[in-house]
Amino acid sequence: MAGGPLSGIRIADFTWVWAGPYCTLQLAHMGADVIRIETATRPCVTRMLPPWPGGKPAGLDSSGYYNQYNQGKRSLALNFSQPGALEVARALIAKSDVVTNNFAHGVMDRLGLGYEELRKIKSDIIMISLSGYGDTGPYRDYVAYGPAQVPLCGLSSLTGYIGGPPMHAGYSYADPNAGVHGAFAVLAALYHRELTGEGQYMDMSQWECAMAVLPEGIMEYTMNGTEPQRIGNRDPWMAPHGIFRCKDRAEKVLGFTIDQFVAVAVSDDAAWQRMAAAIGRPELAHDPKFAALAARKSNEDELESIIESWSIGQNAPQAAGILQNAGVAAFVVADNKYLSEEDQHLKDRGYFVNLPHPVVGTRQHCGIPWKMSATPIAVRSAAPTLGQHTHEILSQVLGLPEAEIARLRESGALE
Amino acid sequence: MAGALAGLKVVEIGELVSAPYTAKLMADLGAEVIKIERPAIGDIARRRGPFPGGRPDPERSGLFLYLNANKYGVTVDLAQAEGFELLEQLIARADVLIHNLWPPDMDRIGLSFDRLAQRNPRLVMTSITPFGLGGSHRDWRAEELTIWSSGGVCVLNGAGPNHPELPPLKTSGHPAGFQAGAHAAAATMGAVLARVRGGVGQHVDVSAQETLVSQNEMVFEYWPYMGVIANRLGRKPLQPLEAMECRDGWIFICCVEEHQWRSFVALMGNPDWANEEIFSDRLKRGENWEALEIFLREWVGQQTVLDLYRKAQERRVPFAPVSTMGDLLNSEHLKARGFFVEIEHPAAGRLTYPGAPIKYGAAPWQIRMPAPLLGQHNLDIFSGRLGLSRGRIDQLRSKGVI
Repeated sequence: MAGGPLSGIRIADFTWVWAGPYCTLQLAHMGADVIRIETATRPCVTRMLPPWPGGKPAGLDSSGYYNQYNQGKRSLALNFSQPGALEVARALIAKSDVVTNNFAHGVMDRLGLGYEELRKIKSDIIMISLSGYGDTGPYRDYVAYGPAQVPLCGLSSLTGYIGGPPMHAGYSYADPNAGVHGAFAVLAALYHRELTGEGQYMDMSQWECAMAVLPEGIMEYTMNGTEPQRIGNRDPWMAPHGIFRCKDRAEKVLGFTIDQFVAVAVSDDAAWQRMAAAIGRPELAHDPKFAALAARKSNEDELESIIESWSIGQNAPQAAGILQNAGVAAFVVADNKYLSEEDQHLKDRGYFVNLPHPVVGTRQHCGIPWKMSATPIAVRSAAPTLGQHTHEILSQVLGLPEAEIARLRESGALE
Repeated sequence: MAGALAGLKVVEIGELVSAPYTAKLMADLGAEVIKIERPAIGDIARRRGPFPGGRPDPERSGLFLYLNANKYGVTVDLAQAEGFELLEQLIARADVLIHNLWPPDMDRIGLSFDRLAQRNPRLVMTSITPFGLGGSHRDWRAEELTIWSSGGVCVLNGAGPNHPELPPLKTSGHPAGFQAGAHAAAATMGAVLARVRGGVGQHVDVSAQETLVSQNEMVFEYWPYMGVIANRLGRKPLQPLEAMECRDGWIFICCVEEHQWRSFVALMGNPDWANEEIFSDRLKRGENWEALEIFLREWVGQQTVLDLYRKAQERRVPFAPVSTMGDLLNSEHLKARGFFVEIEHPAAGRLTYPGAPIKYGAAPWQIRMPAPLLGQHNLDIFSGRLGLSRGRIDQLRSKGVI
């Protein structure tokens, strides 16, 4: 088991952009041999997106976005418009346990790689599609983009400042949500295959997968027929519960002033008493306006302005530390610089990964968010350059002779 | 047909969202999940809504009912020695333990992998904690809001560069709990699979904070690659990518590729302003968003949501409605796919719930029973599974152990 819990499992990975690569990243983390089938004629979208070292792209291998979500995978570059490429893909599938894709409904069928075809190649193959709308239903051919999934799934109408319009999540939340659920589904299917010998096809709609993590709003409606109100950073069961302004960062970054905040959640009256003392206002602990949750909810505007009058004089990490020392849940509203350089805890956990990459050099990347005691896991390599492993896969996985590989390269099937 | 995880035995010590969601994902695929709650008090989710009529009732919390369907429910006071012994008896016959006890609470009751592995060396134990089981923040207190804020994602959301006075905005619900739970489910299944493939039991240590840092889209890398801090005040480089109000609701206007913008302009009837040089490519539309926004809001404001959604999608333009909960429940697409499910519960009655996140071809996702009442299965489990006598069960009950 030296290679991790999924050592010996191979994934023929046709995914791209974010949701699909996030799915197979979890499998690569645990030691699966994930082979991304890519093409230079239509490269993965994230290969062309920022950030890039120095702010400028240097070819298709310099994106921090791609390089984050494809760590530990291999890259096979095929041109499907050329004869021979499809046969290479089919030969790889014959040597794989799982086939993943997040194309729109029907694309794999048109490539000649639909599930029924794959079963003929390998009878116990496991296949998962993570499409926007799923394989069935009247909108199955609709086009889905990450940023539009957040409003579609209902999250935007639930999220917003009090009295304000619907807002976003700030990133394409439904994509990693779909990806990690997809990884779980693949592992459940591998378990089922291990016990029964049976493969299967799994149809994920990213829209539905996002609703599976939004029961609060949906059940408010199904129980009471009412649409939940947008309540900003507040919470019906806790007060204070908010994000409070602290001092700006002392240093400007690229000429910009960076503001900083602390998040605070007071879960009961005892925690409020501790907080009142910690912010130097012990008299508020038993003030009838704030002593009990119901009173704090009724006077929440005043409560929040009292807290902000304290927090504005603090650096955010200092504010979080003072509250934590008093036994109150608090944390800096962390930005990327804070996480990268200032969160000593993450460094001590060994969370980050620094592996050499032939184009961007050694860059800090996010690592694996869990640890395993008996089958140790680690990010094994930086993300692949496009087609980096084409030759070794054809030679070592498919066992093709050199002459055949050369012929495929001449025909344009290999990139 | 049985679910993919039929026969797998799981014990859950779960509060609120993360560990209960991990165990739910497994229960819905056929695993037997025994959920341990505190006697009399129960899972804190029972005290969080939504509730019918807004009236708190520990047997009618929508959040609890959703997260705990398909599970057996028992009550055990793990702080008492006899309670811990019951846990060990359940562990002896289990494959997996999922818990999200706060590390100082683990220490207080003496819960550790080494101790449980003595009773069952093949156990897979998954600990979901705010910051992981090591490091200087191990014992820090945390709630949904502070975990979400620690993950580098909350800082990205807000009113944008025109309203710097407004703070970062929390995403609704329990996204930190659900993301920690879903990642823990993948990690746990990796360990279970390793075990059936000839490995051993082990301990999986999931940090909720790290599950969020791991999904920072491209944003985290802006620091190591470019020395740029990303937050809610950044301008969107491409436009339009905004929610806008129609006559009857909101729609998300989304044109990433140039052909999508051209199709949208045609849909609008090729207005003259669209020919302006300042709107001629996606980067210019980002730079000149304040001007473009005025034209678009005026036109979109005269449309209706579903009509514009259909017309855009007919032209392969990826608009989407800003769905209300009612829109979701009434969606013809979701109805045709059978997404929502109805579950009959003895206290809460018949209600509609979100359904399967994934449709499995060979081993179906299934609801077999509703969420348990507090302590509903004490007798079934302690007598039926552990073989305790009635007298012993009564004794444990009188001591407040169960």
